[in-house]
Amino acid sequence: MIRVSHLTKRYGGHVAVDDVSFEVGRGEVVGFLGPNGAGKTTTLRILAGVLGPTSGTAHIANRDVVEESFEARRSIGYMPEAVPLYPEMRVVEYLRFRAELKRVPRAARARQVDEAMQKAGVLDVAHKRIDHLSKGYRQRVGIADAIVAKPPIVVLDEPTAGLDPNQIRQARALIRELGREHTVVLSTHILSEVEACATRVLLIHRGKLVAQGATSDIRAMRQGAGIEISVRGDAGAVDKVLQSIPSVATVERLEAPGPATPPVTRPDANPMARPPARLRVVWAGALPAGDRGIETERVVAALASAGLGVREVHPASGSLEDVFAALTSDSPESALAEPNVTP
Amino acid sequence: MRSFWPIYKRELFAFFVTPLAWALIVVFLIVQGMHFFLLVDHFAHQADVTGDETPLSAFFGNTVVLYLVLFLLVPPMTMRSFAEERRSGTIATLMSAPVSSAAVVLAKYAAVLTTYVAMWLPTILYLVILGRTGPLDWRAAASAYLGVLLVGAGYLAVGICASALTRSQLLATIWTALVLLGLFILGLGEFVTREGTAMHEVCAHVSVWGHMNDFASGIVDTRRIVFYGAMILLPLFITTRAVEAWRWG
Repeated sequence: MIRVSHLTKRYGGHVAVDDVSFEVGRGEVVGFLGPNGAGKTTTLRILAGVLGPTSGTAHIANRDVVEESFEARRSIGYMPEAVPLYPEMRVVEYLRFRAELKRVPRAARARQVDEAMQKAGVLDVAHKRIDHLSKGYRQRVGIADAIVAKPPIVVLDEPTAGLDPNQIRQARALIRELGREHTVVLSTHILSEVEACATRVLLIHRGKLVAQGATSDIRAMRQGAGIEISVRGDAGAVDKVLQSIPSVATVERLEAPGPATPPVTRPDANPMARPPARLRVVWAGALPAGDRGIETERVVAALASAGLGVREVHPASGSLEDVFAALTSDSPESALAEPNVTP
Repeated sequence: MRSFWPIYKRELFAFFVTPLAWALIVVFLIVQGMHFFLLVDHFAHQADVTGDETPLSAFFGNTVVLYLVLFLLVPPMTMRSFAEERRSGTIATLMSAPVSSAAVVLAKYAAVLTTYVAMWLPTILYLVILGRTGPLDWRAAASAYLGVLLVGAGYLAVGICASALTRSQLLATIWTALVLLGLFILGLGEFVTREGTAMHEVCAHVSVWGHMNDFASGIVDTRRIVFYGAMILLPLFITTRAVEAWRWG
C-alpha cells in the first residue's frame, strides 16, 4: 500500500529525513516511533502530499506522491499534528465540506459523513461549532475527516497528543477499530502507544530509520529487558557477584545520586546496617527470553550465598530508551537528548 | 478544478458567518450613501450645471471617497485568505485533499470578489433614484461599474497575494494597503509632473483616479482593461506559485 524508497528531505542545511525506505502492506497498523524532531511528521507530510521530498520516492497505492500527487492524495486520509480545523464551522458542515473536497459523490455524501461521525464518535456534537469542542472531540473530528472518503490509507500524526488518559484509551480503541478497514500509519513518541495500537513499529531517529519490527518483538524486548532488585549489603560485593554472572550486561543503581559508578566502600560503616540499594540489572542482548526466569533465580541465589540480603525482585519493564539501546548501537542518552526541532 | 466549488462555498461561508463581512459592508454602504447624498444635494443646489459633469460621473470619478473606502475595505477582506490558514495549520489539511493549487487560489479569489460585488450591488439603487429624476446614461453607468469591478478585482488580487506571502494577517493588511496606496500616490504624480516627460506618462498610465474618471464618463479604454487584467493575473500567478512553493519549503 505504501512504498517509500530512499526518501530524503532537507531544509537548508538541516536534514529532516535521511534516506528512509520502508513498505507498509494492506491492513497493517504501523506505528512511527521516535523522539520529537526525529522526522516523523516530515515523513508523514510527504506521504500526505503536503510536502515534497528533496530526493527519493514515495508511492501511495502505487501512485507516486509527486508525479501523480492528485491520485495519491485521493487514496489517503491525513490528520495533521495538532488537528487544525476551521473553528467557525459546525462539525457536520465541516465534514460535508471535506467529503465534497475529497470527491465523495453527492449521493453518498450524507451517508458517508454520518458513518464517519458514528465511527469517530462525534454524532452527539454534530451540530456544535468546532471552536466550542474539547480537545478530545477535536481529535475525533480530525479522525472522522481522515476516514470520511473511505480512503484505503489513513495517516494520523500524533493522534493522542494532548488528550487525557481516558480519551487516550478511547482514541487507541478507535485506531485499532480503523485498522480493520484501513491501512493505518500513525506517529508517536510514546512507546506504549504503538504497543497498544500498532502491529508493526518503525523506529525513526535523527531522520534515519533505525529499526523496524513487529510490535510483539518490541514488547518482549521491553518487558524482559532486565530485573530490578533491592539488595542490602556491601556495594562492592554486590557488584562483584553480579559481574560474575555472564548473562548480566549492565548494573545500574537506581536512586543513587551522582555518577552511576558504584560508590567506594566506606570502611567505617557496617555494610549490613545500611539501607538496601535498588539496582537495575539489564540482561545481555543474547539472552533468550525463555532463560530469563532461570537467570533471575541464579542472580538471587548468587547474591544470597554471598551473604547479601535480597529484599525484592521483579522484572523491569524497559523504556523507549532501553529499546533504543537494544535496537541501535546509539546510546540512549544521545538518542533522546535531541533538541525539539519540528520544522 | 472540481475542488473550486467546495472551497469557494466554504470561503464565502467563513466570511459571512463572522461579523467582519457585515461590518465591512455596513461601513461601505454608510460611506457611499453619505457620498451620494452630498453629491445629489450639491447638484440640486447648483444654479447652472456647467460642463458635462453629472452626479453619475462625480460619484464614480473625480472623488477621493471611492479610493478611501477601497483602501480601508480591501485589505481586511483579503487578509485572512491564506495567512490564517497557514497560521492555524489548516492549509496542510486543505492541501492533503485532492485539490490543485490553482483551484485553491481561484476559489479564494472568487469568494472575495463575490463579496466585493455584493457590497456594490445596493448602490444600483442610487442610479434607479437618479433615473427617476431625470435622464440617465445607463451605458455610462455600466462603464462606471466595469471600472469599479476592474479596480476592485485588481486590488483584491494584490491583497490575496500579500496574504499568501506572510503568515500574519496584520502584515498582509499592511502590505496590501501599502501597495495600493503606493500605486494611488504614483498615479497622483500625473498632476505634479510636467507633461511630456516619461514620468508623467507612467504616472498617468497607473493613475486609478484617471482611470475611474474615464470609466465614469463612459470611456472604456482597452489600455485600462489590459492594465487591470495584468494587475489581476500577475498577483494571482505569484500566489499560485507561492502555494506550490510551500510544498517544497
